[in-house]
Amino acid sequence: MRGEFTPAKGFIIAGLLALWCGALFGVIGSWQHVIPNVIDVVPFVKSRPLHVSLVIAWIFLTAVGGIYHYLPKIVSAPLHSTRLAWLHLVVFVGTGFAVIAAYFLGLFGGREYWEFPPVLGIPIALSWGFLLYNFFRTANKYKGPWPAYLWMWATGVVFFLITYLESNLYLFPHFTGNMVRELTVQWKAYGALTGSWNLLVYGTAMVVMERSTGNTAIARSRSAYLLFGLGFTNLLFGWAHHIYPVPSALWIRILAYAISMTEWVILARMIQQWRATVKEGKRGSSTVFGRFMFASEAWVFLNLGLALMISIPAINLFTHGTHITVAHAMGSTIGINTTILFASVFFIAGGHRSGSMRTVFWIFNVSLLAFWLCLIGAGMVKGYFTVMTDLPFQTIMEKARPFIVGFAVSGLGLFAGLSVLVWRAVKAIAFVQREEGAQSGEEPAMAKAEVLH
Amino acid sequence: MESKGSNEPSAVGVRQRRIVYFVLIGLFLLQSGLTYTVSTEVPVPAAELNSAARRGEALYRSFNCTACHQFYGLGGYMGPDLTNVTIAPGKGPDFTRGIILHGSANMPALGVTKDQADDLVAFLEAVAATGIYPIRNLDLTPWGTYREMHSDAR
Ligand code: HEC
Repeated sequence: MRGEFTPAKGFIIAGLLALWCGALFGVIGSWQHVIPNVIDVVPFVKSRPLHVSLVIAWIFLTAVGGIYHYLPKIVSAPLHSTRLAWLHLVVFVGTGFAVIAAYFLGLFGGREYWEFPPVLGIPIALSWGFLLYNFFRTANKYKGPWPAYLWMWATGVVFFLITYLESNLYLFPHFTGNMVRELTVQWKAYGALTGSWNLLVYGTAMVVMERSTGNTAIARSRSAYLLFGLGFTNLLFGWAHHIYPVPSALWIRILAYAISMTEWVILARMIQQWRATVKEGKRGSSTVFGRFMFASEAWVFLNLGLALMISIPAINLFTHGTHITVAHAMGSTIGINTTILFASVFFIAGGHRSGSMRTVFWIFNVSLLAFWLCLIGAGMVKGYFTVMTDLPFQTIMEKARPFIVGFAVSGLGLFAGLSVLVWRAVKAIAFVQREEGAQSGEEPAMAKAEVLH
Repeated sequence: MESKGSNEPSAVGVRQRRIVYFVLIGLFLLQSGLTYTVSTEVPVPAAELNSAARRGEALYRSFNCTACHQFYGLGGYMGPDLTNVTIAPGKGPDFTRGIILHGSANMPALGVTKDQADDLVAFLEAVAATGIYPIRNLDLTPWGTYREMHSDAR
């Protein structure tokens, strides 16, 4: 990779730019909640999908860039086809521009998440096929049983495609003719789609951990496979905790409730491990990626705790449809996914001492905490007054206003922090000649693998 | 999800892991099949979308109403949940049609035509027939669920 521009770098830089633009539209959208019609050039119907699609693109682009970067090193062989990886990048980014153009023209998919005119879904699915083929052709060169992160990536890559196709079932009248089915299937697909990108990101976290410490036993331990198994089970069957109030068959929702509660095991296990590593005094944060890995763990605790609470139907009754769901989504996508992906990007870019970025790291995390807490506050107000009183919607939102303002203000801090991080990361990836692990003894071996592709 | 600390080698063999994995996928396919068919039937025929309501559903998507509105608490946060707007006390179809056509202090007028507004109202009426939201009946069970949740069709 030294100096050479690889598809992995292309994906990561495209991802960072998508993040910056997505965050910008997020700021616009949040202020549109505070002062309606504040920015007329991009009305809320446009700023929302621009925000959502771009930040999701950041997660996919950067996670995929990481896979293209790490996979050859893991299997000690070049990527099956670098050309196909380039093609993937070109088609994916090209379609991204088409999606953005569609929004500006007022052409929407009108769905909750990754919504755009459905024809544009075809090149995205196609380019994902390139990844699928390249991934398995390369990963099959791995000698011996797969470590947990390869299972995670393989599952994430396959299930992204499955659930993405599933999220398009609404194009068939069988699904749209019945809103109970339409809502259920939409959230079944989205729940699992989220689960699949989480697997890509968690796999990446495990790889960064392994490559930075040189400890290869972790990803092959019983506990790693157990965590993967539980995560996968939750991806497959836990989605209906998003739709407790939708009148689908009871078993769908009760099954999801039961499955979601298995995540307490994950939480307990993580606390146990956290305490073990604290005892060993291994919480190093002398590097930028070390700091981000550390932060991501803190966010995992907070968000897993919140997710578990709102998966209990009696609590969900109050939190569902409120900003607490947004807190959950933002906490996971920013606190966990974005933080892990930054750790990975700075790791790939080589050893930055963390001192230079201490301030921006804290601005980012403190703003995010304020942002997250404001959303929870707004959600508590909305949930309580919606369920317990007959007050009209606008009156309830007036009561929640201080929290909404706090959310929009802390969003500015978050955006400022992100802007600096994106700038530093783009510079590091594009211009710096140093390479992953520049300070972790394993560099020579990796450099050799690098020469091969 | 990193797992520092417990680095004991895996006790479960590769074969068993594969079996568990594919059994899970089999169950997933079964669950998907049921979810696509018998487990998501509407409670009453009025909740099935007729041709006007189907057009309304497509309009709801193309105007991106979801950006601001929810059904059953799912969707955007700027505007109110619309599940029962056509049957809510003091609201109803005419109120709904009016606000869709002209907007309000807080909702922009989106340039919806009269025919489109009729289709959107037909759609919202079909949605209202699927059930009640929000649920205000706090009849909790010891298992952390609420009794309203236990009836498939309300
Ligand atoms: C930019 C956000 C936005 C968009 C897009 C939007 N709405 Fe609204 N809508 C609102 C807000 C905010 C209110 C609350 C208005 C008020 O109380 O003054 C509202 C209110 C309503 C109401 C009255 C609800 C009630 O319970 O009082 C209906 C019906 C409605 N919208 C339907 C629609 C439909 C149908 C569409 C798509 C064609 C749509 N809206 C698009 C923001 C939006």
